[in-house]
Amino acid sequence: MATVTLTNVVKRFGVFEVVHGASMDIKDGEFVVFVGPSGCGKSTLLRMIAGLEDISGGEIAIGGKVVNDVEAADRGIAMVFQSYALYPHMSVEQNLSFGLRMTGNPKADTERRVKRAAEILRISELMDRRPKKLSGGQRQRVAIGRAIVREPQVFLFDEPLSNLDAELRVQMRVEISRLHKELGTTMIYVTHDQTEAMTLADRIVVMRAGHIEQIGQPLDLYDNPDNQFVAGFVGSPKMNFIKGRVVGHDAPGVVVELAGQEKTRITQPLTGTAPEIGSPKIGSKVIVGVRPEHFGNAGEGDADLVVAIDVIEHLGGTSFLYARTANGDDVVIQRDAAKVPDTSEITVSIRKSYLFDEKGLRLR
Amino acid sequence: MSSRSSARLGRSIALHLFLTPLALIWLFPLWMMVVFSTMPDNGIFSPGIELLPHGNFIDNFNNLQRDTNFVGAIGISVSVAVTYTILSVLLTSMAGWALARYQFFGKGAVVAIILGTITLPYAVVLIPQFIMVARDFKLANTWVALIVPPLFNSLGVLFMRQSFSMMPDDLFDAARVEGVKEWRIFLFVALPLARPMLAALAIILFLASWNNYLWPLLINSQPGSMTAPVALGTLIGLTKVSWGGIMAGAVMLTVPMLVVFVLLQRHFIAGIAAGAVK
Amino acid sequence: MRNRNATAYRFLTPYLLIFAIFWVWPIISSFMISFQATRTVPWRFAPSFNWGRLIGDPAFFNALKNTLLILVIQVPVMISLALVMAVLLNSPLLKARGLYRFAFFAPVVVGEVAYSAVFRLMFNLDFGIINKLLNSVGLPKIDWFSNVTPAMALIMIAVTWRWAGYNAIILLAGMQSIPEDVYEAATLDRVSKLKQFFYITLPLLKPVIVFCLVLSIIGTMQLFTEPFLITERGGPGGGTETLGLLLYRQGFRSLNFGYASAVAYTMAGLAIAITLAQLWLTREPK
Repeated sequence: MATVTLTNVVKRFGVFEVVHGASMDIKDGEFVVFVGPSGCGKSTLLRMIAGLEDISGGEIAIGGKVVNDVEAADRGIAMVFQSYALYPHMSVEQNLSFGLRMTGNPKADTERRVKRAAEILRISELMDRRPKKLSGGQRQRVAIGRAIVREPQVFLFDEPLSNLDAELRVQMRVEISRLHKELGTTMIYVTHDQTEAMTLADRIVVMRAGHIEQIGQPLDLYDNPDNQFVAGFVGSPKMNFIKGRVVGHDAPGVVVELAGQEKTRITQPLTGTAPEIGSPKIGSKVIVGVRPEHFGNAGEGDADLVVAIDVIEHLGGTSFLYARTANGDDVVIQRDAAKVPDTSEITVSIRKSYLFDEKGLRLR
Repeated sequence: MSSRSSARLGRSIALHLFLTPLALIWLFPLWMMVVFSTMPDNGIFSPGIELLPHGNFIDNFNNLQRDTNFVGAIGISVSVAVTYTILSVLLTSMAGWALARYQFFGKGAVVAIILGTITLPYAVVLIPQFIMVARDFKLANTWVALIVPPLFNSLGVLFMRQSFSMMPDDLFDAARVEGVKEWRIFLFVALPLARPMLAALAIILFLASWNNYLWPLLINSQPGSMTAPVALGTLIGLTKVSWGGIMAGAVMLTVPMLVVFVLLQRHFIAGIAAGAVK
Repeated sequence: MRNRNATAYRFLTPYLLIFAIFWVWPIISSFMISFQATRTVPWRFAPSFNWGRLIGDPAFFNALKNTLLILVIQVPVMISLALVMAVLLNSPLLKARGLYRFAFFAPVVVGEVAYSAVFRLMFNLDFGIINKLLNSVGLPKIDWFSNVTPAMALIMIAVTWRWAGYNAIILLAGMQSIPEDVYEAATLDRVSKLKQFFYITLPLLKPVIVFCLVLSIIGTMQLFTEPFLITERGGPGGGTETLGLLLYRQGFRSLNFGYASAVAYTMAGLAIAITLAQLWLTREPK
């Protein structure tokens, strides 16, 4: 078990920089998820930790020891790949033991480790099969088993569930969670799926275009996003963004009017905005973020808003209203199924909102 | 029958009417090779038209063995072709692996050189190769001379590079993370996965060595060190020679390869087609 | 991918070593030898000795003419034939495909010596099966070996027989890599099979055809075994002597390595020039 420390880690392919100085401390035994859209550099970062990519700048330390020049094999890590990367010409048993056999691990110990991994993952009865004869879920277990066998200090997962169907994905997610509790090993997990990130992580690292946007516990990110990107990325359905304009100051905050809705004014206290961002001037444009679940009935919240309904999706317990504001901003509203109106227009209230400046930085 | 399917039938008949005679013409020389090999010399050089095999193969073979030690030459050819194939498969797949799987300084130059040699006639290197092997290394009439110089093979390397680069990266990264050394990854992960391609490559290389003529003709010209095609070639054009014997030799050189071709057609075709689908 | 110079070169070394010793050095050496008078001991540097002789040597021009003649006639005929074979073998209407494939591809495994011997017998003046068959349908015998034109034709027939199937395999593989749905779409658009061939197959197959042409040109440029064995050392009277044969005679019969090297470089120059012209003519439009 070990800590993982990244200090200003940079990755360049030729002149093209894909990771721009990532820093973080991952505690011993922590489950950290890197999340972000494809191409954000999360997999590259993971592969640098694994030792599969050279580090162009900065330092990576595992267990307090800088590993920049240490071969992947000697970093005490194990990795589970998106494609599972099972050796197609070997049985499950051979797949699990291959690395240990090739590196001269004592035979008895290899057998013990393989047996234990098979038990943990409940694949003991599959040991003689080739990967081709396994289901997607079973392949995934074998891939994880191969990582467990190494008894690593850190587990690395590279989008391990993205090749599974929805149902299996939920099942394996629970399984990985259980595994983390059981083994207590540090785990770093890469995914583009925010649901996986929210459900698995002790802490989430949100990345975009090679930058770390925010690091925090799942509910922290949900409740207190640093910027519009994180706010939009965490939570499902996405947070709604409605254009607005600062129309007045109301110490210690501002009054914002929603575009096209002169009567809808929200008063937002500002106490924690970073000093370099400062307080917005009157007339400056801002963005108001409202989560679908933070709309209430008319009169319940800070301000009321009239929207035109396009489509209603019934999911059973809840329903989603796809609607437009007078200004043409799309909004999604979450409602109890029982409270879905049959009119084409509806007045909702905003119970909780977030304010972002034009560049997408949080005003708070 | 609908007009559509009768049109199909018409086209199908036309296709077979054209292709069948062409196929027969193409098979004719091979058939005649077998026929000649079973005919006595006075039968080959007689005015009648003979299109069916006779029973004289053994006699012809004995004549061939009298004219030149063909069995010995076949022995050399087999040993050389087997050794050459093993070495060349190893060399080409190692080089192909490096070019497919590693980023390294000078990679572009190496690839460019290999591509460039495809268009370079072998004639350019023939004379210095001969001078070097025969005069400088004093290796004429040895197996080394037959096996080593032809080991450089550009199409084979490109084929193996292609084969290895189509395999998923993760497979090798997984082994790397597990601490498996690169040469073991190559031996125990990459090569087993490339088995069909290796089979194709091996067949083509074996055939090339088995049929190679010019280089063995130049470098191993002593009677006891000749390969089978060279030994057979020395008989062609001699006046007092058994043509039935020559044909028996031709059959012995050809028929085993035809059998291999029929059995391993898929690999054969894959090996030859390798140049095309890139 | 990590940069792995040491590992990569460890895998490459044996191959590159063979390359350096048996190709790089000979290429350089051959060039230098071509500027030396090699029939004196020791060899001496005489820049115009071989190249000067080359320019005025009727034997060289004869071999050059023969080689180019074979090249110009045999290569296009063979590639066209290979294309026809490939198209027809690819037809879904074909029954017993395996048999036809065997017929056309089988010559690929036949060695040059074996088939040269067979062709010599088949085309024999009095006892060859070809002349017997010509006679039996009322045509006169052809003296394939004593007249230049039939002798050249024989060489071309032999080479075409040996290599057409080889090229057909490559072309067929190329055709099979063209996605089926392109043809399905064209069929729905009522494009006839013939037009599909000219407007879909040929353009998409162009790189493969060029590849075949380049390989065939380089092969034919070095043609040696067929005129050596079938028409008896380039007979009649040098009528089928090729550059390959001239090189062999000069280098290994007369041991005139310098002159032979000059011939070799001429062949290489021609091969490269033709290949480049080929690539230039068939380049992709910008």
